[in-house]
Amino acid sequence: MYRRLSLPIVVIFLAASSAWGQSPPAPDQTEQIRILVERIQQLEKRVSDLEARQPAAATMTLAVAKLSSPPASEASEAVQPPAPVAGRQQEGRDEHGTVQQLETHYPSLQIRGFGDVDFSATDQKGTNSGFNLGQLDLHLASALSRKVAYFGEITFNAQPTGYTVEVERSIIRYDFNDYFKISFGRYHTPLGYWNTAFHHGAWLQTTIIRPELEKFGGTFIPVHFVGFLAEGNIPSGGAGLSYNFGVGNGRGDIISRPGDAGDNNDNRAWVANLYSRPAKLYGLQLGASVYRDKVKAANGLNYREWITSAHLVWTKESPEFLAEFFNVNHQSILTNAVTNSQAFYVQVGYRLPWLGKSLKPYYRYEYIHTPLSEQVFTNLDLSGSTLGLRYDITNYAAFKMEYRNTRRLETDPRVNGLFFQTAFTF
Amino acid sequence: MNLNYKRVLTTFCLLASLVMVLQSPSAAQTSRGADIAVVVHPDTPVTDLSLSEVRKVFLGERQYWNSKLPVVLMIRAPVARERDVVLKVIYQMSEAQFKQYWVAKIFRAEAASPPKIVYSNDMQYELVSALPGAIAFIDARNVRPGLKVLRVDGHLPGEPGYPLR
Repeated sequence: MYRRLSLPIVVIFLAASSAWGQSPPAPDQTEQIRILVERIQQLEKRVSDLEARQPAAATMTLAVAKLSSPPASEASEAVQPPAPVAGRQQEGRDEHGTVQQLETHYPSLQIRGFGDVDFSATDQKGTNSGFNLGQLDLHLASALSRKVAYFGEITFNAQPTGYTVEVERSIIRYDFNDYFKISFGRYHTPLGYWNTAFHHGAWLQTTIIRPELEKFGGTFIPVHFVGFLAEGNIPSGGAGLSYNFGVGNGRGDIISRPGDAGDNNDNRAWVANLYSRPAKLYGLQLGASVYRDKVKAANGLNYREWITSAHLVWTKESPEFLAEFFNVNHQSILTNAVTNSQAFYVQVGYRLPWLGKSLKPYYRYEYIHTPLSEQVFTNLDLSGSTLGLRYDITNYAAFKMEYRNTRRLETDPRVNGLFFQTAFTF
Repeated sequence: MNLNYKRVLTTFCLLASLVMVLQSPSAAQTSRGADIAVVVHPDTPVTDLSLSEVRKVFLGERQYWNSKLPVVLMIRAPVARERDVVLKVIYQMSEAQFKQYWVAKIFRAEAASPPKIVYSNDMQYELVSALPGAIAFIDARNVRPGLKVLRVDGHLPGEPGYPLR
């Protein structure tokens, strides 16, 4: 009988011991810890003083002194690391590593990759369940000087007949100061929030896929933009205002794509984005955007396009809140007929405090409405909910699983689906 | 029935102990210590910043002290108390969130590099005093001559109301 009861008692004892061991220390222990911490700090200071008297420290100081007077040429602002000294080789290596980390070479190319593997199963007729390889995304960042930098993004996309390679972003930027930075190249159009916050790496976003209105290859908004962009902060005190203003080619003959190889008309598109990150409400961002273009529809007619949007986001993860609204206005140049299409999404998530804050449940509702008279788009109507859970298995990899329930037209049946993804950066 | 009861009890106890371990404070949690000073290179044209301005600098939203002087961010490596205070008060992020924030920041082409990681106070002192535009956090007791200590919200380290502690 006693033996039968022994296991639960031992487990309770262990649990109690564990809890006792983790409870806050008693006041006398706190005092002891304080004394020990002070003692450690005194010893650290003493070690520092001793190190300062050694020749190795003098070598280090010499190396650092070189940092303060960099050579006139920007080709290399590297610092010669300190030479290892006998008896202090390990410390020398540590210092060497730190100084090396602080070296600035131009150009300084950094590459980061993103990838994802997905599984999907839906009850939609004519679709198959199965795995698919998401985008393999390479991001390049290279400082060319203290005020000039290049950013690039290239994706490899799985297709039925092989892989396609796409230059998603290619930007060279000149920084004059915090208030004015100008860049040229191919961008993600600064319309709203999501399109410039998350880009192609699925690991960056909470959910498995982007909202339908922002999806890559979609037509509701021009996701990409080729031209120039001015951006910066606006002196505004605690309001934390910033802006983007760009001029570019606008939509191409295939309206989901920008005019990478040249504009299809003599009309330039322009985009303006104004947003605020109030100092008193760290985590909040709210803003508005406008985009103007002339587009050629599949019917051969030209339309003036006005896109207006507003967003409100709370970027902290407990909770996370993202909401955006878009209105796309098309006016026929020939007939003056006007259509307005609307879309919005609202997404909420919450980083749970347990398990090292690795779990984040989320929900998103999204809606798109295009009127029957719309001529530039085919019908894009959608109403759908996404309920999911993200599990960050490490700092750089996550598992996500989602249930989605969507409907295109009022007369269509609802489609239910289960989706899984592992997304990572490397 | 009796055996099942014990199995359930054993499982419950195991789960309870697991939950207690998981919810307990981290062993690496820091004890309260001295104020953390915000120090810059002596030639940096700033003497007083609000806490939200310090946050803006360390979030990479302010990248220039003036048009000729870029900000050079430095932060201590993990486990250092200075880093814990910076993550808690300035970034209000966990270690994982901090790392993810900078990956995303660079990926959005908003910054070319994350803050430089510094492994000791000595190294930090040498580099801040040598690199124009450098800004870092140092335990106020370890501040040495040659660095400029900034007022934060109008207060120097050690004064009542100083926010970084």
